[in-house]
Amino acid sequence: MAGGRRRVFVSGLGLVSPHGSDPAAMFERLYAGESAIRKVRSGSAEFGNDVLMAQSELDPAGMIPKSQLFTMDRVSQMAVVAAYRALATAGLLADDRGPADAGIYMGCGLGGAQAIQDAYSTYYQRRSRKVKPTSVPLIMTNAPAAHISMRYGVLGPSLTYSIACASSAIAIGEAFRAVRDGYLDRALAGGTEAMLNDGSIVAWESLSVLAKEHPDGPAASSRPFAADRSGFVLGEGAAVLVLESEEALRRHDAQPLAEILGYGASSDAHNLTQPALGGQVRAMRSALADAAIEPAAIGYINAHATATPVGDKVEINAVKETFGAHAQRLAISATKSMHGHLVGAAGALELAITVLALQQRRLPPTANLTVPDPACDLDCVPCRGREAPGLEYALSNSFAFGGSNAALIVRRA
Amino acid sequence: MNAFAYLQEVLTEKYDIKPEAIRPEATLEALGLDSLSVAELLFDVGDKFGIDVPDDRTDFKTLGEAAAIVDELIQAKRS
Repeated sequence: MAGGRRRVFVSGLGLVSPHGSDPAAMFERLYAGESAIRKVRSGSAEFGNDVLMAQSELDPAGMIPKSQLFTMDRVSQMAVVAAYRALATAGLLADDRGPADAGIYMGCGLGGAQAIQDAYSTYYQRRSRKVKPTSVPLIMTNAPAAHISMRYGVLGPSLTYSIACASSAIAIGEAFRAVRDGYLDRALAGGTEAMLNDGSIVAWESLSVLAKEHPDGPAASSRPFAADRSGFVLGEGAAVLVLESEEALRRHDAQPLAEILGYGASSDAHNLTQPALGGQVRAMRSALADAAIEPAAIGYINAHATATPVGDKVEINAVKETFGAHAQRLAISATKSMHGHLVGAAGALELAITVLALQQRRLPPTANLTVPDPACDLDCVPCRGREAPGLEYALSNSFAFGGSNAALIVRRA
Repeated sequence: MNAFAYLQEVLTEKYDIKPEAIRPEATLEALGLDSLSVAELLFDVGDKFGIDVPDDRTDFKTLGEAAAIVDELIQAKRS
């Protein structure tokens, strides 16, 4: 395909989210400030724990043949179901087949977490070398992308980006570039993560980054930007977007949900778990330059903000440095306060929420922001959703352990 | 439960194969089981009966042949 940048639109959206699978219904619940975080008993009777988490309901009936379920970990099942819904809303699903010419760009942090736990349980608890023959294909991080390709007959590249909490933002950004630059006419792009099994949770607990239960109850425990924030709550789910070039969109007469305008990525080269202001600023500036818009055009930021004491403050300062005086005028909210941290699926779910916010010109709030941290002194849309007439451009941040940063910019279609 | 009865149960429940297709003379290939599915099936059988189907006993083609080998291994374990 000849050079020149093509416009790239979001034409489909598929979800397996803590707030359900219907995008409009999910957005209503978020707009109302409703948290999907619960306290769940996790692990064995002997040394289990009550764990805060945001689970997603997964019902693959009608979307994954029963005979295939044993070949897929939960992480792949959620991805295949989200892809089904994305293709269906884009009008690209015919006789159970998707677009053969598409590429697949999926983010995933850990892969088949339950299958990892099952294999180690067999090895250590049952003291047996005989683990399931499906262990490797269940565990491998590229399984979700591979299953989407097989299930819907998608013949373009099927790629997996494993960049911790920025996995799916980067997957979408790379897909956006592939379509914009003419390597593909369309792509399925998103992320999936399912690590709410106890073997994974204990590792997170040991890192001391998880939220403590708030006196107001489990649902109030994820508190980005708040003075009394104590860490994040793990969530699970999948979000898949269909990205299409303008020509591809026209060919099947589909309505765009939003336009993707820019993508920026950077590395901190600093620390495994601590964020750095400079890297975040470079990611946002790079996305703004890519989108060729002025910083002042951005009306809303869906923050990465996970509610760790250190992270939220750094992001606020990075936004101030990137946007200058405009930082005081834009709105920034942290929806992780309600759906938790989906790690490899976080960026995709949050971009989906950003697309819906642009469509409806309504901003989802930062729930539980009753007493803001004085260091987080921007307009963080506390507690209640808000109408945003005139909203045209929005940005979504995703920052990963390892110091990988990504920012995506979307325009109202 | 003998091996064939267990195969019937797993093939119906997990592999979603119609009960009427699960006959002793049916080949695993004809039932649509690929190599990974066969390996998983043998794992489940081994788990159920506490046996290990050795690699040199996996040259069966039909369900009846597979069941006979498994029954034989169960017997050998008991005696």
